Amino acid sequence: MLNPLNNYTLKTNFQRFFVYLFLVVILVISIIPIWLLLVNATRSTPEIQQGLAFFPSTHLMDNYRILRSKGLNLWLGFGNSTFISLATTVLTVYFSMLTAYGIAVYDFPGKKPFYNFIVVLVLLPLQLSIIGFYHYMSKLGLTDNYASLILPAIASAAGVFFAKQYLDSMIIKDLIDAGRIDGASEIGIFHKIMLPIAAPGAFTLGIFSFVASWNNFFNAFILITSLDKYTLPMMVKTLRGDVYRTEYGAIYLGLAITIIPIVIFYALFSRYIISGIAMGSVKE
Amino acid sequence: MQANFRKNYYGYLFIAPFIIGFLIFGLYPVYDTVYLSFTDTTIMSPNSAQWVGLKNFERLFADDFFMRAVRNTWLIWLLNFIPQIGVALLVSVWFTSTRLKIKGVGVWRTLFYMPNLLMPASVAALFFALFSFYGPINQFMVKSGFLPEAMHYLQNTTVTRGLVVFIQWWMWFGQTVIIVMAGMTAISTSLYEAAMVDGASAWQMFSRITMPLLKPILIYIFVTSLVGGMQMFDIPYMLTDGRGSPAYSIMTNNILMYSKFSSSKGHIGAASSVGVLVFIMTTVIALGIFYFLRDRDSQ
Repeated sequence: MLNPLNNYTLKTNFQRFFVYLFLVVILVISIIPIWLLLVNATRSTPEIQQGLAFFPSTHLMDNYRILRSKGLNLWLGFGNSTFISLATTVLTVYFSMLTAYGIAVYDFPGKKPFYNFIVVLVLLPLQLSIIGFYHYMSKLGLTDNYASLILPAIASAAGVFFAKQYLDSMIIKDLIDAGRIDGASEIGIFHKIMLPIAAPGAFTLGIFSFVASWNNFFNAFILITSLDKYTLPMMVKTLRGDVYRTEYGAIYLGLAITIIPIVIFYALFSRYIISGIAMGSVKE
Repeated sequence: MQANFRKNYYGYLFIAPFIIGFLIFGLYPVYDTVYLSFTDTTIMSPNSAQWVGLKNFERLFADDFFMRAVRNTWLIWLLNFIPQIGVALLVSVWFTSTRLKIKGVGVWRTLFYMPNLLMPASVAALFFALFSFYGPINQFMVKSGFLPEAMHYLQNTTVTRGLVVFIQWWMWFGQTVIIVMAGMTAISTSLYEAAMVDGASAWQMFSRITMPLLKPILIYIFVTSLVGGMQMFDIPYMLTDGRGSPAYSIMTNNILMYSKFSSSKGHIGAASSVGVLVFIMTTVIALGIFYFLRDRDSQ
């Protein structure tokens, strides 16, 4: 006679097998394009044209030489993107924390509508402002200037939303009162007491704003025109163009250079990123 | 008490930089875009612009290109959103199942999410290379006998559109898994235990407990994905020639807006009207979703 409990475990094991199979399939789909990119960055163009390979070859330096010889200075784009992303990140983190702290700690009239307005702003699409933004920046003479890419970070609605969610979960009123008794100014309390305590949240927010700025193509594409000010995603467009048409090895290497920093970044900080996404969306 | 009340006005000081930044870099550009959409302003002659009323909008509705861009954007978004939410729900149910006890949930999730962080411009260029005539996909398809001979994938409208759909799915399903899982783990396990005692099946628990309680999260995912999807640009722009080839099959709203912006005269008035119209369309749909899915019981 069949034991019903055994039957149950058998069914579970059977299901489990298919679940793992499905997960492995999605995992392969998720990883394989990136893996092929990295492998092909080390293979010569003839090798790439001969067939698929899943293991690296030895032509990394040759590809690099070809990449450099065609006049595309990827490292310049790398430097430009790093500068813009760092500046944007610093502004986003500081001013988002400042604004969110103001909303979380003080009960000023109009605070609720202000915060609701910020939540609406998070969803405001870029289409509704980018052309006007370009037009207005060109009147100010700020097109082709990094200021137009960096300064808007002062008013990042998504940043404030995230910082508010984070601060709500960790602000301790007693600490603020203790600071006041010690004679610290209000802004001093924010700088000396809150910011250090909120560092993990600030760091998570920083990661998100850095990645978003690093990957941002559309704004820079609209606003920047000088070749020496091109950001990395704009250089990808050049890489995709005619000059490199048949130099597959160099193309793959160039793309790999744009992607590797983020992959390393992710390997180091994935914990922050994953918990940050969950926190940005779920309000308990 | 008195001191505390006065301190509350410090709040305005803390939010002042945001407000100033928003007025300069947020509100004014929105105003300017809406204003421009009623004019025939071009980049070449910004000072001789005329107020043309609704003419830009009339032209868009009469323009087959605009309708095509709207259709394309919706189609590409819907076709990637449905499997995205479907796979995310399925995977999340498995990951949170106390019966299956899947190992390494954190690792799976971390790897599934990775494509989301990659530079979209590079991702599109990568898929362009992978699907090029001499690329790895053709090599694989021909060698394994799936195709008799290599084909030009990116000259076929269905394949190209499908590829954009796939890339969007590939980049976003991992994020959806994380959000759906966060929502599922927030549901009290006692509800499921009670249902088990009553002899509920797995499907009944999913449809009667998980789905209703997940509704706010699902609306959140739907709305953010819709707003993002209507702005799709990098992937379709970089995958082919930047004009939505082949046969304008992947020309999205933003590609159309950009092509008006970058046309020889730089029709920023007409480009603005595309942005404004797409915004109105997106907002109406998003509000409609809120309205239909709102919690009727609590009213």
